Amino acid sequence: MTGYADDVDAYTAALDSALVETTYDPWRNTHHATAEGRIADHALLMARLFADGWSRYGWPETAGGLGGDERHRAVMYDALSAADLPVPDPHLMLETLGPPLVHFAPELAARHLPAYLCGEEWWGQGFSEPEAGSDLASLRCRARPDGENYIVNGQKIWTSHGATATRYVCLVRTGTPESRHRGLTMIMIDRDIPGVTVRPMALASGQNELAEIFFDDVVVPASRVVGEDGKGWAVAMYLLQFERAQYAWLMSGIALRELRELRERCEGRTLPDGTARRLGEVYGDVIALRARSANTVRGLAGGAAVGPEASVDKILLAAAETGVHDLARDTLGSDFSFGTSEPDQQWRNDWWYSRAATILGGSSEVQRTIIADHVLGLPSEKVS
Amino acid sequence: MSALDSGMDDETAELLTGSLREMFRSAPPDLGAALDELGWDEVAAEDPARATTMLFVEHGRSLTTSALLDRVMLADLPVSDTRRAVLHSLDSMDVLLTDPAAVDEILVPLDTSFAVVPAGQVSDTAPLGGFGADTGWFSVDAIDAAGAPQIGDEALVRQSIAAGRRVLTAEIIGVCEAAVALAIAHTTARVQYGRAIGSFQAVRHRVAESHVAVVAAREVLAVAWETGGEWEAALAKARAGRAQAEVMRNVIQFFGAMGVSMESVVHRHVTRAGSLDLLLGSHLELAEQLGRELLAGADFLPVARI
Repeated sequence: MTGYADDVDAYTAALDSALVETTYDPWRNTHHATAEGRIADHALLMARLFADGWSRYGWPETAGGLGGDERHRAVMYDALSAADLPVPDPHLMLETLGPPLVHFAPELAARHLPAYLCGEEWWGQGFSEPEAGSDLASLRCRARPDGENYIVNGQKIWTSHGATATRYVCLVRTGTPESRHRGLTMIMIDRDIPGVTVRPMALASGQNELAEIFFDDVVVPASRVVGEDGKGWAVAMYLLQFERAQYAWLMSGIALRELRELRERCEGRTLPDGTARRLGEVYGDVIALRARSANTVRGLAGGAAVGPEASVDKILLAAAETGVHDLARDTLGSDFSFGTSEPDQQWRNDWWYSRAATILGGSSEVQRTIIADHVLGLPSEKVS
Repeated sequence: MSALDSGMDDETAELLTGSLREMFRSAPPDLGAALDELGWDEVAAEDPARATTMLFVEHGRSLTTSALLDRVMLADLPVSDTRRAVLHSLDSMDVLLTDPAAVDEILVPLDTSFAVVPAGQVSDTAPLGGFGADTGWFSVDAIDAAGAPQIGDEALVRQSIAAGRRVLTAEIIGVCEAAVALAIAHTTARVQYGRAIGSFQAVRHRVAESHVAVVAAREVLAVAWETGGEWEAALAKARAGRAQAEVMRNVIQFFGAMGVSMESVVHRHVTRAGSLDLLLGSHLELAEQLGRELLAGADFLPVARI
């Protein structure tokens, strides 16, 4: 494994050949009965990718990486999907939580990121609360300074991978209750310490994709702050860039793999009228997402800030995600709704998960308002 | 290969856009001559993708009519001093972008070549009415291309269609961008219930969706230019056609009664975009075609790469 850090094209070519080798067969075209089983199996794939060096590109050497940038990571996500391999679940959160740690808390990144990168552990993002979903700035989980620590009290909800995570990167209120986005701090809290209670939360599919986390006088060292006290919103905004750029790109590759699987599943079936046209449109939606997202990722890799225009990417992602899974539902008919095979269950589970595409990371409604406000300059909704 | 590697810098692009808008605003009777005056061939050679896109976007934005599309489609044929038009076969009729009386030959795209038919052979020609009333296009009766001399080969015809689809995509984008700009101006100025209608969330969200549709078309077009492929050109044209359907539906709504009547010019954008969609495969036809190929086993090409 030599110097692909400065050569994305060579990295791409080498990775494409490597992923078709038999070492990766155990993870190809696999299905899992539970979310817990899936993430555990994916962690083994992460260990393999780390040992072979591929997943280390795109991360600094100080944090267990081999250098490179966002393009390397984006290439890897795509290459995995192209080789009919899953993008390991933990990477979805790593892509969002890793960069802010590297940028705002390099010592924490150096100490903890390598274990995440190799699949030994994974983390959850503790942002949303029961009363603060889209309106994140209204969050109430409090962190009170106490000597060299903070005492954390409150609750987080809808935390992806939260049931099995080792740590949570949380946005907490260190300012006054009315301080909205100005009184927030980002802090990393371990799961396995006194006062932390975790309850898995099932999606309507029955899969424990999410979790609730309760903090009851939890003692967290101040060294665990990511960035500065009171500057958590800036960290969250920085994090959102990766969520809007990389996550969208990552999902676009998965969408192509899912379309291939759907087509295979449809062989020999009588398809409803109009399926051909819908497939052409859905594939077109995925391509529109990819064309847009590739640009955004390249911009991010080049050091450009990802601004309000990235709300376009989010909306295109939502259309592609829901389009693929609605097409699956409509073409698979009663097999989709009532079928007992593992693939049938997988399509049902994934359909429920795809409903989150218009919600997570800022709902589509919020994205449209961002575009109206900050891209198009339309008259404000607030009228005095 | 990166989309960031452009032959033309942003400053030049801005100047060129300004010159193109000026040119189209002056409605030159001879578009070819006007482009020559701009030194177009030299400019375009520096960055064909960006320049050609800009040209056709402004063509669309200004609702200009011309046979420039045919010039693009026939650009790779051996130079000829005959005046030529391309036959555009639509689902239930054939169309020319100019009066057949003004050309010498009509080129009919076949599977493996262009058939060259003397313009005098066409019958039953009439200027298009309906949504095509201000296009300057003509309908023609079915042309018998059997036995006509043939030029070019399969690759040439396919590339010609791909080139045509790329520039039509740009033109549709221009018409849509003009319509969205009108919509933004209108919803900002129009006051009802004591506030600008553009301050109501339902309206703002539809404008935002219209913006997303047009941006998506621009992105797919950029990739289509990068690869030069037929598959990508079809995807771009389909995306633009789909965008215009959504954008125009929204824009008419934003204008209320003014959108449905002659009070606003918006209706002209609706009919122009719809007319352009029908050339070289409507968005419905292209989606169907792509879908059939995919169901039959065609690769789900990733198209865009990092």
